[in-house]
Amino acid sequence: MTTTLTSPAGASLAPASTGGGLARKQNFLTGIIGGFVFGFIAWALSHHFFDNTSRSYSDLVTTFTSIGWMFGFWLGIGALNGPFAWLIGSDQTRADQLYYAGENQGKVRYWKYCTDHKVVGVQYIIMTMVLLGAGGLMAMGIRTELVAPGTHFVNQQVYNGLIAVHGMLMILALIVAVAGPWANFVLPIMCGARDMAFPRLNALSLWTLVSAAFLLLSTLAVGSLPVGWVVLAPITNQAGPGMDFFAMAIVVFSVSTTVAGVNTICTVMTMRTKGMTLSRLPIFVWGSMIAAALGLYAFPYFFLVETLQLLDRTESTSFFSAAGGGEGWLQANLFWLMGHPEVYVILIPAVAALFEIASVMSRKPVFSYRTAIGGMAGLAGLSILVWAHHMFTTGWAPTLGGPFMVTTELISIPTGVFFLVLVGTLWRGHIWMKLPTYWMFGFIANFIIAGITGIYLSDIPIDNEFHGTMFVTAHFHYVFVGSVLFGAIAALAFWYPKVTGRYLDEKLGRISFWLTFAGVQITFMAMFVSGLKGMPRRYASYSMLFEHSNFVTTVGAYTIMAGMLVLLGALITSWNKGEASGPNPWHANSLEWMVPTPPPLENFDVLPVITSDPYNYGEEKVNS
Amino acid sequence: MMTTNNKKSLRLFFIGWVLLTALFVVIGFVAPHHWMPRVMSPQEHMTVVTIILFTALAAPVAAGVYAVALHLLRHQTFRGNDVPPAAPAVRENSVLTVSWLATSVLLTVVVLVWGLGVLAADDGGATTNPLVVKVTGQQWLWSFAYEDNGKLVESNTLNLPENREVEFEVTSEDVTHGFWIPQMGIQVDANVGEITKIHTTPNQLGGFDVRCTQFCGLNHAFMVTTGDVMTRQQFNSWLAAQPSRS
Amino acid sequence: MSRIRTLGVAAGSVLLGAALLTGVGVWLADASPHQTALKCQQVSSGVCSLNLSTFPDSLEGVHGANGGPHPDWVSYSNDNIDVPANTTVNVTIDQYDSGGSLNNAFFDRVMGTIGGTATIDGKTVSQVDPTNVGHTFTLRGIPGNGSSIFVSVPLPADGNSGTPVTIGGGSYAKPVVVQFSFKTGSKGVYEWNCEYPCGGSREGQFGEAMSTFGYMSGTLTVE
Repeated sequence: MTTTLTSPAGASLAPASTGGGLARKQNFLTGIIGGFVFGFIAWALSHHFFDNTSRSYSDLVTTFTSIGWMFGFWLGIGALNGPFAWLIGSDQTRADQLYYAGENQGKVRYWKYCTDHKVVGVQYIIMTMVLLGAGGLMAMGIRTELVAPGTHFVNQQVYNGLIAVHGMLMILALIVAVAGPWANFVLPIMCGARDMAFPRLNALSLWTLVSAAFLLLSTLAVGSLPVGWVVLAPITNQAGPGMDFFAMAIVVFSVSTTVAGVNTICTVMTMRTKGMTLSRLPIFVWGSMIAAALGLYAFPYFFLVETLQLLDRTESTSFFSAAGGGEGWLQANLFWLMGHPEVYVILIPAVAALFEIASVMSRKPVFSYRTAIGGMAGLAGLSILVWAHHMFTTGWAPTLGGPFMVTTELISIPTGVFFLVLVGTLWRGHIWMKLPTYWMFGFIANFIIAGITGIYLSDIPIDNEFHGTMFVTAHFHYVFVGSVLFGAIAALAFWYPKVTGRYLDEKLGRISFWLTFAGVQITFMAMFVSGLKGMPRRYASYSMLFEHSNFVTTVGAYTIMAGMLVLLGALITSWNKGEASGPNPWHANSLEWMVPTPPPLENFDVLPVITSDPYNYGEEKVNS
Repeated sequence: MMTTNNKKSLRLFFIGWVLLTALFVVIGFVAPHHWMPRVMSPQEHMTVVTIILFTALAAPVAAGVYAVALHLLRHQTFRGNDVPPAAPAVRENSVLTVSWLATSVLLTVVVLVWGLGVLAADDGGATTNPLVVKVTGQQWLWSFAYEDNGKLVESNTLNLPENREVEFEVTSEDVTHGFWIPQMGIQVDANVGEITKIHTTPNQLGGFDVRCTQFCGLNHAFMVTTGDVMTRQQFNSWLAAQPSRS
Repeated sequence: MSRIRTLGVAAGSVLLGAALLTGVGVWLADASPHQTALKCQQVSSGVCSLNLSTFPDSLEGVHGANGGPHPDWVSYSNDNIDVPANTTVNVTIDQYDSGGSLNNAFFDRVMGTIGGTATIDGKTVSQVDPTNVGHTFTLRGIPGNGSSIFVSVPLPADGNSGTPVTIGGGSYAKPVVVQFSFKTGSKGVYEWNCEYPCGGSREGQFGEAMSTFGYMSGTLTVE
């Protein structure tokens, strides 16, 4: 891709300098302190004003404490400084903006409310690892308990709490696993921009996620959430204050993801550099934008359904309780209206990253760029129409079974397009067998199984047999662990040199790959067998019939754990001691590889002018 | 490794594709028969047939992708630290794209027509004077009640007569449960304040399981009971011996 | 990185992770208290006897003198019971709690006991008034794990008549005494719980004590 230099992008801003001082010292610790202080104030106030004999008392107190935590955390970390300064007519100067972007602050800026998209991207890498790690610990707790029939080291109460929190932590982790780090770190540079459209909102989305994670983990301290991660009504009526923390975590998280989605779309639509037409955008940018738009559609449902559940719990409304004239099915519908698009919000960024990787690593353009965009957009659009396939066996609206079967099976068409694009890109390519390539091939192998087993489940008679069994669990773990996680790790291995200037250790990465790949097959193939034999899911204990398949599944889980630990070891040791990579180790053509490593604060000294897309390997001489 | 497009490697690719397809078709046939519960109703029978059919349809697709991946890994890879040279830039291949899309659409249509057909054939509830069994889920137990001459005969195990259509009227007293008979391929949730219905005709004698598939709290994993399909005579004597209430 | 260093990092990561996992596992196991099991007392060859109580609070029995985290929740005296295999188990339950109407009349019958009856305050019955039930003792087994068991005995509500009884520090109304027997088969683990909604929650009273381990539910191990 040829670029020409133009005059520097200038920016001069308005009025006199605002004070620095205390506001500039705010960081993660002050955020936590602020959260605890305001949480305590809210707790004390609600403790005082609400009747502690009423059934809703603990729910009201927990809800208000969570709201206090959210605002206190925002205040403490400095999220509200910018808007507040604007409100009082003393807007941030350019010097302030550069400060908040972390100029000249070194490593400490990673602990602060930093508006630099590259810092936010790294913070998202850490958050993803924290969430995956916590969820992974729970997974190991679950599989260790299920190694043999009967109850072993946790009773069914604790076990039931583990599975719900494992589910929600992993879902949160995967929603941000690719979009968080890379739609933040890489996407603006790919567009030729100096930062996202709304840098302060960018930092807000990350720190709000952190705040939500605290709330979610708090459920563990109050008896957890033994109701399953889909928090169906009416069983949530039996859950303790853990349910309120969960609902508030979701409400807070919805803010984070909405803000991030708006930011991504506005950045792509308004901040592309001269010559970067939509048809010259890297495919990863398209995927991120489509996923963000889908998320903007879907997550408000989650916000809504959790708010309604909180109202049912605190104000004795009856949205979801039959006794009061409400309906449990309403909760299920609202939840799945979010829940199905959400899995594509998770999948599409991973697939888009893999398109990028496939192109670079086979030294060929993305095959059928427009079909790739059409596939992702079609998937997103169709995903809005399929939600009730999660409800085939609920008995709600049997006449709608056929139509939802139709929409669900139609989704296999855009999904098939993903294979067309990936395989078409790789075909006759010169495939460079480096770490990202391994994980990409792993994705291809696993996603076939994930997709095809989804087709079985979309058929109602088959679903009548397998719904609620480990067959479903195995299917979606092939999607999330086998496919999305592999895509996320491929993206990590691919862009790690851009963040750190070093390769993610190739040998450790390959050990991790083989352990994880083998582990996925062992774990989840054996889990399919458990499902075929008739083992329902969310079972704390099981009959002798399922003994062998569960034992094998647990062995596989330990294998995956070993693989993930080795990857963590690779990440940590490569950060400072890895082999130096230079600014463009993969000899790629998109803009992020054209800037130095690490990229300067505002990415480009001079904004580039684009004359072609980044896929012209072998078509033109490449400037690297 | 350098790239090779010669006839030998392509022939190997096609052989690999065919072998993998055959393997997947065989798995699709063996897995349900080896691992799934005993088939005791026409619904379950159709479910197993559908699984085998879908696997057979998906097999060439999956095998094709795996064969391509293996072919690429064998012939198109470069190892080492030097960036490979640029490959011939093929951005579009309309023939491939159109045939791929057309094949996906065709396979989807076949799968849909079959699935909708099976669904429609069984749809619309029970047909002829079925035996009505009321199923009540309550944490963490299934209880059953048979309508018999104006009285409700109660039981905690589900016994059924062979070859008589049975309709289950399912409800719950507390939270949502999932009423599932694995051997008969029928499942419906038990909802509070609703009665959901499913029907089947047990066509084999012998025992079966009833398991709860919708997470329902502390002892969800223990909400399991059994049933027995017996001859009509045995069933009638069993029914007469159970306690009843009017 | 050298091969030794690579393997060292890999092994080290796995070991550190395993240590963390063990730590978390121990912490989780502590959260699942295993109360000492109540053992069935041998009466004669092939017969043993078991004494349980149901209380309107948690101040007696396995939750300690303070009643644990929820002293006001109704509770059984024990949540872990051990009985021998192939034995006749004679059960006596002292029922101290008030009650009300069953929501599912199915449970007003005595089921699965020897003779299909229970003796309530001396009187032998096979069914009770469904509008006056305090709790039930409902025991069932997972087929495939030992013999199948199903026993369900309704425990009538305590009418609060007669001289109060003092246990520990608390005073309770004279209990309704329910006696029944059932036979165990081969080894296995079974769950029992109460099927009269006597817990809390927003509606239906199926929450709190009814849905938390160790109050109105427990494990019966046949060994």
